[in-house]
Amino acid sequence: MQLNKSRRPGQLRDTLATLSLGLVAANTIHVAPAAAQSTDENLSLPYSQLDAAYLSYQEANGRVSASEPTASLAIHGQGGQVLTLGLTADTVSGATPNGAVPSDLAQNFVTPLKASGSSVTVTTASGGSTVITLPPTPGQLAAAALGRMYTVPGNNLPMDRAFYDERKAGTIGWSQPLFGIDQVGASFSYSTERDYSSLTFSGRLAQDFNDHNSTLNLSVNFEDDTSTPYGGVPTPMTAMSGQWKNTSSKGRTQTDVVLGLTEVMSRRWLAQLNVSYGISSGYQNDPYRIVSVVDPVTGEPLMQTDTAGNTQVYALYENRPGSRTRESVYLDNKFDFDPVIPELSLRYYHDSWGISSQTAELTTKIKLFGSFYLTPNVRWYHQSAASFFHYYLLSDQAVPTYASSDSRLGRFTSLTYGAQLGFNLTDHSEIYVRGEYARQQGDGHPAYAVGQLRNQDLFAGIKATWFMVGYSWQFH
Amino acid sequence: MTRTLRIALAITALALLTSACASIGPKPWEKDLMARKEMSVNPYPLVAAADDHIYFSKEASSGGRGFAGGGCGCN
Repeated sequence: MQLNKSRRPGQLRDTLATLSLGLVAANTIHVAPAAAQSTDENLSLPYSQLDAAYLSYQEANGRVSASEPTASLAIHGQGGQVLTLGLTADTVSGATPNGAVPSDLAQNFVTPLKASGSSVTVTTASGGSTVITLPPTPGQLAAAALGRMYTVPGNNLPMDRAFYDERKAGTIGWSQPLFGIDQVGASFSYSTERDYSSLTFSGRLAQDFNDHNSTLNLSVNFEDDTSTPYGGVPTPMTAMSGQWKNTSSKGRTQTDVVLGLTEVMSRRWLAQLNVSYGISSGYQNDPYRIVSVVDPVTGEPLMQTDTAGNTQVYALYENRPGSRTRESVYLDNKFDFDPVIPELSLRYYHDSWGISSQTAELTTKIKLFGSFYLTPNVRWYHQSAASFFHYYLLSDQAVPTYASSDSRLGRFTSLTYGAQLGFNLTDHSEIYVRGEYARQQGDGHPAYAVGQLRNQDLFAGIKATWFMVGYSWQFH
Repeated sequence: MTRTLRIALAITALALLTSACASIGPKPWEKDLMARKEMSVNPYPLVAAADDHIYFSKEASSGGRGFAGGGCGCN
């Protein structure tokens, strides 16, 4: 879902109208362990399940919005076989922070617009931008390349409003008893966006024991991603410019291992414990994101003017370490106190970028009158900052090897409230609506801020609302 | 505490839990409640997937419930 910040106007008009059903990210399909999955008590056969839903997501202040139809299917066979399929598509648009700090003065930003040899005719630029002609420079791919300039008024968070992307993703998986192991499974997933693609292979072993009260899971996931940013891959820690970059794409791989235990603790208590370890290497930068360089006294972002007379902000493309390891421990407990079913999940996460986080989520299903139910939920999340996170860089200091101002790598706390209201159409089918509100809160006024930055809110966290309408059907 | 030691401790704890599991849990005829959809591990896969995807896109952490991310350029 990396948002393609540049769109060709003609193509955009065409693509805005097409939101086709694609395929879901693989990892979104979870095959329930045998120790705790919905079964027909008479047949001892797990129910197959079909789910379809539509998600609408909106961030406040005209930032990102997304819409996503999605569907999944899990079919259980008589011999313990499970076939899973998933499809999803999403369109994402809106304004997204480019990483620069606000200023009390207007700021111009220039990004690439047209590739060398492109047949695209540019007459206008989207998102409140203007088309400019870039001066010839050594290594430039087009003799007179064009750039897209957008202006952010003073005292506003710099955002690029020409942000649009589409994603289609799908997964297919199969598992069955094999060699005396209860479940041996594999799945394949593919996801594609305008500037990103991802291939995933997963393998899974699951073994029941203790009268099927316990299930031990081992899953391995290998992911191979390719980032193809519009405008090419920028050289990290060099100045943002409208020049088309020579490198068109970069790759990244990720391997994850999850060891899990699902335990039916009693007639009314289900527990799950997962221990995860992951390692990723390759290109992990956000190719569109920059870091401001500011005057150490006034706090004003540096400016530069090219030979064609275009004045723009002097900011550097971010850089993140090329490798990252992640560890997490996840514990979930669910209780059936009919008609109330509370569930509490806790997660601790740590990675080699210096980020630690804690997550707690409480969900309680309450059976109401008739066939209605209500499931309120609250989620608390806190993370520390990555070791290379900086709101900005000072012009009198050496440029660091790694730096990112991405607020998602900064320190913040997030709170989510929501509820799901459902109606059982039959014993094994239901419809539901769901609404969530999340707000991130970080330190937008750090004590070390200099000059005019003391008067700005530097934290670019989100306030987001999302709604979901869904249908779920269990069958044999 | 080193990372290796933390992982070793976590795996050891999981192994101990596994061995302890033999003495807990209901008998087969007591599993009526666990057979219901609402007591399955992931009764609403699309809801969990949507939430995981949103949080993965807007936070630095990932994983826990299942695998991270699912291959998108959103983080």
